[in-house]
Amino acid sequence: MAEVHVIGQIVGASGFPKHSLFCKWGVHCGGAWKILSGLREGQTQVDNPESEDAAYFAHPIDIHFATKGIQGWPRLHFQIWHQDSFGRNELYGYGFVHIPTSPGTHEIDCNTWRPIGSFMESVSQFFLGGGPHLKNPDLIYSGADRYRLQTVAMGTVHLRLGIILRNFDKFGIEC
Amino acid sequence: MAVPSVFLVMVSGQIESAEFPEFDDIYCKYCFSYGLDWAMTSGLEESITQVTKKSQDQYKRFVWNFPIDATFKSTSPAGWPQLVVYAYGLDAFGTDVIRGYGVCHVPVTPGRHRLRIPMFVPESSSLLQKFTAWVLGRRPEYVNPRVVAQGEGREVTRVRTQGFLVVSLNVIMKDMKKLGYDVLPSDVQNPTIPDSVTKTTVGAS
Repeated sequence: MAEVHVIGQIVGASGFPKHSLFCKWGVHCGGAWKILSGLREGQTQVDNPESEDAAYFAHPIDIHFATKGIQGWPRLHFQIWHQDSFGRNELYGYGFVHIPTSPGTHEIDCNTWRPIGSFMESVSQFFLGGGPHLKNPDLIYSGADRYRLQTVAMGTVHLRLGIILRNFDKFGIEC
Repeated sequence: MAVPSVFLVMVSGQIESAEFPEFDDIYCKYCFSYGLDWAMTSGLEESITQVTKKSQDQYKRFVWNFPIDATFKSTSPAGWPQLVVYAYGLDAFGTDVIRGYGVCHVPVTPGRHRLRIPMFVPESSSLLQKFTAWVLGRRPEYVNPRVVAQGEGREVTRVRTQGFLVVSLNVIMKDMKKLGYDVLPSDVQNPTIPDSVTKTTVGAS
């Protein structure tokens, strides 16, 4: 069986309207993949940074996959939430990125988006907060029903991931 | 020839410098956090640097130039070691208070890596607690600094990033390829297909 180790961290996020943020993350992989060790989802700390241009999570990711096939290569998906000084949470963006397929150290930027509603809904969102969320979070990493959505771009999530592969060359895979 | 059962990872580097715009008189401590499969074969598990003041020029940097040397052995990359650095400084009343925790994985590729890691402190839950902490010099701290190297339980913490630390690490590995692990893309460029593989189904879901 081939194995993949993902060893790195969610470094932080930048480019959002405000930077008191936290991130909920998860991993989704195809049927041939199995997680041997490591957490498959989690939530980072809430950072309220001194300098207002980026939030830093420094959240470690250490996952060990075993796989019988290369279809369904795992993806990391994120939800970035903003927490204000009253402790209320507001969704700031969804994003996903594939785990890199080549071994080595990778610095990855994941762009995020959030759904928008009608004009009246965005006016009410401006004054009251809130806003539409996805009913089914699978849509973050799948393309199935995306054509129904209208979205707006938000900031970027920064990752630093180290990938170690095992036995891929024995199966003739070049990556 | 016997296949080795463990591989080694050696880190040699230094805690170079830091930027903490608002503070002065800072020293760092570091420790390594690693999983159950790992053991440290040489080097210091924890250490503490000198106290330094910031530079007088416009960059306002703290420079330690503090060496880090460690060698680890393991049977599996899971639980890869992380370097946890925590910086303390003197506040206005002369007590040691925490100025930031930072964590980074020892890089998984051999070579020289220079990393700039954010340093954050836990925040008090309320304004009154913030004031009491400032007056008494007892800021919120983590009981065990290695908690920043873990993923569980982080969702209940609120932190404030106050600065950055630059650390440079040189990594050497031994026997990773012999155990079948590839850490560089060039390692996978010469695939060989042993006979046993043609008898099993591979690549199809």
